[in-house]
Amino acid sequence: MTAGGPGRFRLLATFVGGRSLGVVEAPGGGPPHTDGRRVFVSAGAPASQQRREVLVQAALLGAGSLDERWIRALRGRPKLARRYLALEGRRALAALGARLPLAAALGSDAPATTASAEASLERARDRTPVEDPPAWFGAIRPSRLLGAPPAGPGARPRDEEVRLSFRPTDVPETEDEDDAEAGEESRILKLFSSPLSSDTVSDFLHKLLGSSRSAAGDAAAGSAMPTRSLRRVASAGPDARPLPVPVRVTGRRPGAAAGVGGALYPEWDEHRKRYKPEHCRVIDFPLRTRAGVAAAGVARDEVLRRRLTRLGLGPRVVRRQPDGDDLDIEALTDLFVDLRAGHSPPEHVYLERRKLDRNLGVLILLDASGSASDLDPEGRSVHDHQRRAAATLAVTLEELGDRVAVYGFRSHGRGSVHLLALKSFAQRFGAAGRARLNGLEPSGFTRLGAAIRHAGAVIEKQAGTPHRLLLVLSDGFPYDDGYESRYAEADARKALEELRADGIACLCLSIGGSTPADALQRVFGSASHASAPTLAGLSRRMDELFLAALQELAAPRRRRA
Amino acid sequence: MAGEAPYYRAVGNEIEVFRAAARRGLPVLLKGPTGCGKTRFVEAMAHELGRELVTVSGHEDLTSADLVGRYLLKGGETSWVDGPLTRAVRQGAICYLDEIVEARQDTTVVIHPLADHRRELPVDRLGIALKAAPGFQLVISYNPGYQSVLKNLKESTRQRFVSIELDFHPADVETEVVAHEARVDVETAQTLVKVGEAIRNLDGSPLPEVASTRTLISAGELVAEGLALRDAIQAAIVQTLSDDPDVERALGELVDAFVPRP
Repeated sequence: MTAGGPGRFRLLATFVGGRSLGVVEAPGGGPPHTDGRRVFVSAGAPASQQRREVLVQAALLGAGSLDERWIRALRGRPKLARRYLALEGRRALAALGARLPLAAALGSDAPATTASAEASLERARDRTPVEDPPAWFGAIRPSRLLGAPPAGPGARPRDEEVRLSFRPTDVPETEDEDDAEAGEESRILKLFSSPLSSDTVSDFLHKLLGSSRSAAGDAAAGSAMPTRSLRRVASAGPDARPLPVPVRVTGRRPGAAAGVGGALYPEWDEHRKRYKPEHCRVIDFPLRTRAGVAAAGVARDEVLRRRLTRLGLGPRVVRRQPDGDDLDIEALTDLFVDLRAGHSPPEHVYLERRKLDRNLGVLILLDASGSASDLDPEGRSVHDHQRRAAATLAVTLEELGDRVAVYGFRSHGRGSVHLLALKSFAQRFGAAGRARLNGLEPSGFTRLGAAIRHAGAVIEKQAGTPHRLLLVLSDGFPYDDGYESRYAEADARKALEELRADGIACLCLSIGGSTPADALQRVFGSASHASAPTLAGLSRRMDELFLAALQELAAPRRRRA
Repeated sequence: MAGEAPYYRAVGNEIEVFRAAARRGLPVLLKGPTGCGKTRFVEAMAHELGRELVTVSGHEDLTSADLVGRYLLKGGETSWVDGPLTRAVRQGAICYLDEIVEARQDTTVVIHPLADHRRELPVDRLGIALKAAPGFQLVISYNPGYQSVLKNLKESTRQRFVSIELDFHPADVETEVVAHEARVDVETAQTLVKVGEAIRNLDGSPLPEVASTRTLISAGELVAEGLALRDAIQAAIVQTLSDDPDVERALGELVDAFVPRP
């Protein structure tokens, strides 16, 4: 933004309007107006004029003159809107003048004649003459105020990103979940599937009893006895949840060879307080779009780098320090030997316990859905911001020797939740990978819970480090077909709880987005989210954010009944 | 203790709560945003109770040895030097640990035995447990605003404390405080407080911190020294809140709305 840009008035507008407002120049030389989120001012006008324009538009918002119930009456009636603007603008400015000297100083050309928005609308409707508003009052645009829904998710993904084939038998076709009991495995065999994942006993029984009682025919090819500890109990505990079912991917090559994986995940049904098993099909596959390596540039962030360098997770004793908690007896002895022998070495004789050890695996999960394509006043989409942040974080963490993977996610209904591997744990984050990340186009929707569950599974299998962190870069606004508001938030929150229970820390960064903090808090919990207009806004406390997320694992969990 | 009583203007019942806690030796947790008067409150109370005040500011490298004490080398011998906490325990002073959450987690644990019925400080390097002298009281402060996102006080720690919540004073009281502390006229103080409140109440503010009473007082002091009000606000509030030229400019516009350009 240039030094003279109208963005400088945004805090003034926010204060006067009582809500977060941006200020930009009106496109195409239009008159000043507002859409409830931004104030548009005359392009190229001197600052003093823009200031007045901002003031009156924000004052209208702040005084409630542009509430939906008043504005509806103005739709399609420009003359009425103009008379209403003249009356309300004067009223709002007069009201503001009482608490803001600037409003009193700029003032209005005529005193306020009405006492409320309702009265103004009445007067605007009758035929008494109303003095025309000065030009800087601008205009009221009812259509923009009413018809400004958050821009919907964008276009469908490109073909090359979804070219995969699946065996249709893997898709649960029916909504009816009670049918899931049909292929139940033998209870007796379950009793013998050991928590230590030793299958010897059950194998033996398999051979002994034959497989007539087992449901082996229903299991996926090559699927072993479950490796987690399983015990059949009469009632499920508060943390019980259905396990994911692996999905077989067929095509010209076996899925595993192409790096394609997937599973059917359960989804939490907040309304019925239970899981819907095998509800979402999640596929992860490497993104193979062609991208010119010329677009592989990644912004560096020195502050971030310095901060993350300081991130130590395990304590380590550092010997022979000039200062510290305790005396290093060995060093002390050496010092005295040296002193008696006539040397004068530096007195580095202290021990210090510092947290230096790291052993961190991070999966960066990037929201690649269309909802991230909203533009901010500077013309950059939320997605742009998040993508840049992902690239910078990934490069920085990789340089610091942590294990990093970068996945994008998007969904089109519960049957196709896609995780696009931009960089797996095993790959280097080379130019091609960076270019692919930079060229990632947002599309589709946000089924956050399923994406988080699968990302958790990927970390579990591939990170191979004791400390594991899932870093979600999203606007924190889950939305998909049949996946909205409270239901979606509850599912995403549940998915995060599951991950934490499995020892994976979670942190959500909302960069460039406008999601209110309380929405993020509902989904991610108070300690594990942060938002800022740019990554640089978070860089200087990134180490603390990482630590807080990882430490939350150590904190005792609160159980919900 | 000699000297003039520090100026503190109570808003709620915090003074009564503190007095009662002090009589029973209960540890106190002060909650409140930066610069709202936590430190001043403790100073005022220590003065009123006639006890010495030992203040330690928490920072991320503060270790338990910094609080309790350590062996140092003196002329070829090691000698034990008490830390501030140990000193306060021996003397029966009020020990004020400012912004304790900034310190490392292991540091907060050493205060546990002091904060409950035991009232003793184990000094493991000396192999002793010091009984707290009568009059010893532990006070910690904690800023629940930005820090709660990053650092939390452990439940086991905070449940040992009596909590007193402080916040920015209401506008009229804050005006009085600013006028008294900075020695400016009421009108100037009113304008300063209005600016401060405007910054505090911004929706979706880009600022990590808000204009505290302390910054308002600094601005007032600059005015008292003959600076123009606009310049004083610029120097003491706008420039201190942000380094981003963009945000500074936007804040400047907001301030201009209260203090119109001449």
